[in-house]
Amino acid sequence: MAERVLITGMGMVSAIGNNVEENFRSLRAQRTGIGYAQYVDTIHAGKLPVGEVKCSSEELAEMAGLTDATGFTRTTLLGLVAMQEALFSAGINDARDTPTAFINASTVGGMCDTEKIYFDILDPEKEGTFLQLIDTLDCADCTQRIADRVGFTTYVTTISTACSSSANALMYGARLIRAGLVERAVCGGTEALTRFTINGFNSLKNIDKRHCMPFDKDRNGLNLGEGAAYLVLESESFAQRRKARPMAELSGWCNTNEAFHPTSPSPEGDGAFEAMRKALAMSGRTVADVQYINVHGTATLNNDVSEGRALERLFGDDVPSFSSTKPFTGHTLAAAGAIEAIYSVLSINRQMIWPNLNFTGRMEELRISPETRLLEASPVQNVVSNSFGFGGNNASLVISKYGN
Amino acid sequence: MEIKCYIQASAAISPQQSFEGSYEPQFLPLTERNLLRVQEPGYAGFIPPNSLRRMSRLLKMGLTTALQCLRNANSPVPGAIITGTGRGSLQDTEKFLHDIRTYEETALNPTPFIQSTYNSVNGLIALQQQCTDYNNTFVHRGFSFEHALLDSLLQIQEGAESVLTGGFDEMTIEHFFIKSRIGYWKSVLTQPAEMLASGTPGAIAGEGATFFLIGTNPAAVELKGMQMLYKPDAAQVTESLTQFLVKHGVESEAIDLFVSGRSGDVRFDHFYDIAEGSLPASIAKVHFKQFCGEYDTAAAFGMWTATQELLSGRHKTALLYNHFYGEQHTFILLKQH
Repeated sequence: MAERVLITGMGMVSAIGNNVEENFRSLRAQRTGIGYAQYVDTIHAGKLPVGEVKCSSEELAEMAGLTDATGFTRTTLLGLVAMQEALFSAGINDARDTPTAFINASTVGGMCDTEKIYFDILDPEKEGTFLQLIDTLDCADCTQRIADRVGFTTYVTTISTACSSSANALMYGARLIRAGLVERAVCGGTEALTRFTINGFNSLKNIDKRHCMPFDKDRNGLNLGEGAAYLVLESESFAQRRKARPMAELSGWCNTNEAFHPTSPSPEGDGAFEAMRKALAMSGRTVADVQYINVHGTATLNNDVSEGRALERLFGDDVPSFSSTKPFTGHTLAAAGAIEAIYSVLSINRQMIWPNLNFTGRMEELRISPETRLLEASPVQNVVSNSFGFGGNNASLVISKYGN
Repeated sequence: MEIKCYIQASAAISPQQSFEGSYEPQFLPLTERNLLRVQEPGYAGFIPPNSLRRMSRLLKMGLTTALQCLRNANSPVPGAIITGTGRGSLQDTEKFLHDIRTYEETALNPTPFIQSTYNSVNGLIALQQQCTDYNNTFVHRGFSFEHALLDSLLQIQEGAESVLTGGFDEMTIEHFFIKSRIGYWKSVLTQPAEMLASGTPGAIAGEGATFFLIGTNPAAVELKGMQMLYKPDAAQVTESLTQFLVKHGVESEAIDLFVSGRSGDVRFDHFYDIAEGSLPASIAKVHFKQFCGEYDTAAAFGMWTATQELLSGRHKTALLYNHFYGEQHTFILLKQH
């Protein structure tokens, strides 16, 4: 019997808070973080709402305890802030004390800062300290800077599968543990808003000029967001040996590819259906054991039809409470899977179900609608968390109350 | 119990004539810059014309190599698709950056944005072959292909019968210039034949796409194992190599081929000296970067080279050692079955 994988620490930063507790308070207060951008430099800043972290890069550097932040992009700084909280909450004073895998996720690496100097880099006449940022363009840069800062040396790598990236990072870390290669893996992702991605999604006509409305008949696209989140995963035996406090169990997971279209899901949600079904089967839970689904719920026309159909097919007439938390944070791309995994753990530990904000009316294509109220004193034992991405990448995680 | 893994088929697009026919590596002459470009095959037999028109270079290279590998294996639908790429489609990333500036963030064509997504090649392979199983993409310099390989080995231990594993990267003129500004390449034009003895810092740039079908059905080459080291010092390289060989029950004397990622970069070649020092002096060596250049996923071409050598019957046990600019180091052990 393979080892159970426990979640023993979490850290995050998002548009609704600079740590887990602040995020929890915003969720409970039903307070969105979406608004117009202060920090990312784009002509769309006053027109397209985003979920921006409410700190300048200088403030993030200070929070991360850096005296010299040269070469640290906003992507890295967000990641460092979340990482420090994750290790602290797991009671890890020195990450070097145990061989630990670090599986990070990113969609565009340090693009947030390199896009500002890209054309200076291309100009042979221009010289200066900006040249030190050249290597921050790739996805490995943020991972290695975080790893070097906190002392991860065993398995250090980065996953990029678009919007499912950090869900896949969690899965890969859990599998390294189950294979016995490490006893601990810290997994998640970091994503900073960039002109590149804002224009990318805008050119796809996927961005709503209003606050996003997941699973709503009037939805018209997503809001982009930024943030970072990491979860400390440990084998059950290791966690017991070091007397760690288990917050939840990562009991099931599945990654499937829909093989339908490069950027669109299938109308019947075949990939979403399979990912949820197989993740639940792996966890040893049935559909009746699930109390809450943190849906991908981007509020794009296609995602919500497809994901909604998958929910109806899998859960039949008894679809549990489900909501998208993207109206709080925006769609944080590579960080979304880990941010929402933390919200799933909070749902179990605080016995609450988060409301789907901005909902006005049920979609014609579906029989179901999301939970719009904050449900307190809700006996949540098992949560399914979905992350779906470009390239047909579908990932579902099952997070369970430990000892359940 | 560990399940044994075999290399059932492979394919490579590289600066060499490697895509079809028998492989005979050549020292290719460089005239303009220290960059080895791939020899692109005809794509028409692999990709429908209407798709081909829209696809950028790396997508064509990656998809075609993957398809050729599956054809060579006579196995159209793998149990998983896992790849590594350090840079993804640079051409598309650059095009979108330039478009944003030229058109001042308005009326942009989304195609380069979509294609710049690092997992776009994976999605295309899955789509074309209707493979709905596990699909993952690693994007971490010299640990991109390597983690794809480790993930593939895990998939097989978990029950997948076969996994399509690949690594691909392209080099554009623009990115070549960018990296030249921070010393990635040799500053004086250096021929591949003289690369190792150049005594200068920097490497010769390269590119390529390499795929393997790895599976449990016995085949001529067994993939015995791999080990990664992140930013090790010299002592850790020696120690890890010894432990790695012990773990896989191989005496260093039994290794008859050393496939080395030596790039002729005087700043980092000493790591290869250390590894060679742990092996018998008489061992045959192949320095594969003379043939493919340096790039994030060059080790995939190294593993392909080792596979060709074992298939030829000239050698029985091959050890690959590669590092990328001294930071990400990897050992891979292959054995004739």
